[in-house]
Amino acid sequence: MSLSGEVALFLRGARMQRRVIGALVVREMHTRFGRHYLGYAWLFFEPLLLGTCIGFIHLLRDQAAVFGPFEFYAVAYVVFFVFRGIINRASTAIPSNIGLLYHRTITLPDIFFARHIIETVSCIGVLVVLLFALFAVNGDLPENPTKVGLAMIGMALLSQGIALMAAALTAAVEGIERGVHAMTYLILPVCGMFFLVDWLPESFQELALYIPTVHIFELLRDGQFGSRIRAHYDLGYVAAWIMVTHLIGLAALRITRQRIGLE
Amino acid sequence: MSLELIDVHKSYPIRGGRKDILRGAYGRIARGEKVGILGRNGSGKSTLVRILGGVEAPSRGRIRSSMTLSWPIGMMAGFQPQLSGADNARFIARIYGRNTEPTVESVADFSELGEYLRMPLMTYSSGMRSRLALAVSLAVDFDCYLVDEALAVGDTRFGRAFAEKIERSGLILVSHSPALVRRLCTRAAVLDQGILTFYDDLDEALATYNAL
Repeated sequence: MSLSGEVALFLRGARMQRRVIGALVVREMHTRFGRHYLGYAWLFFEPLLLGTCIGFIHLLRDQAAVFGPFEFYAVAYVVFFVFRGIINRASTAIPSNIGLLYHRTITLPDIFFARHIIETVSCIGVLVVLLFALFAVNGDLPENPTKVGLAMIGMALLSQGIALMAAALTAAVEGIERGVHAMTYLILPVCGMFFLVDWLPESFQELALYIPTVHIFELLRDGQFGSRIRAHYDLGYVAAWIMVTHLIGLAALRITRQRIGLE
Repeated sequence: MSLELIDVHKSYPIRGGRKDILRGAYGRIARGEKVGILGRNGSGKSTLVRILGGVEAPSRGRIRSSMTLSWPIGMMAGFQPQLSGADNARFIARIYGRNTEPTVESVADFSELGEYLRMPLMTYSSGMRSRLALAVSLAVDFDCYLVDEALAVGDTRFGRAFAEKIERSGLILVSHSPALVRRLCTRAAVLDQGILTFYDDLDEALATYNAL
């Protein structure tokens, strides 16, 4: 096949995939929230409520922090919500959508991409609402909104890679999804949401920086507070994690696809 | 354009071994052909439908297809019970690259569901569900239609529209009913004990099947 032929084929495939993912997004939105406006509102309220609660708990606990604990924890919690939301839903994606595979245009990754887009876009919406609320209350805006947005996207992509792997693993080993759920809670104290690397003793700093989410939270705080803190992160390290998890996840899903129906 | 089965094997793990459903099936179905596949209960018809439908992969061998094959007609493949009939129809239209509103109109016309088209699928009776599924299948064009089991449509409005549709394209009918295969197909195969045998002569296929 000539090069232009291959390009044309690729473009046609890309257009079809975009159409399919778009259709899946609409379907998933309608299914998850019903066709009621209140349903869509929940999409925003759920993480907003949780983020606000966490913010308040810390507000009561440590009044004397350098910056508002509310903006330190609540904003980070919304970013963590992307991680938790995407990974916790990974195990149900295939079993609850098996009928879709009768439609040849739909591939397994499409189903995941569609769900992750919803999860990410809703959390970005919540983040924007929260940041504006903080601005209204105490006049603080993030020093570098691009970095805040980049942290959100980075978290979504990393979560997506892990979710693809988790879904393939759940399909292969029955009952392991409970372990995946537990993991999203167990990682909470070390994921970087509750601390800055700079606060840690030097020996722990190096260890903490092995965890990819720590880099993402550092990037988030750099975007929020910039000159007021010293952030430690390496975007190349995060990108490597994203790429490796995607490669393993997509390859494992290919195997999963071949084995569907064995049960 | 055709659909080819090349040495298709399928087996499932069962307690203490594997159960063979297909043991090296070969066959070629050209565009426009109307082929019946006959099999007794438990012969592996549903497995064959899932393999032809592309949901399951063969254990060995492959299916080479250069024509578009429908999902099993009348099956609610990927329909969401929480969504309305119209929303499900829109979803199918989108993934097959068709305009949503003409599709909904055609579904409304054929399913005769009236107001129920705007209600969630889970409120439908089984009759209404099958009318919706058939109407949606009919709204999308394929080179070949895959039909699983008895399609008891007969001389209804849908039956006539469907007959017209398969007259222009092709049909693969997987069924245990020789009468239905005789009525709709020009050629047939018999699935028995993992062996799929195609016959060029319809009567020969039916005679073999009846002798099983």
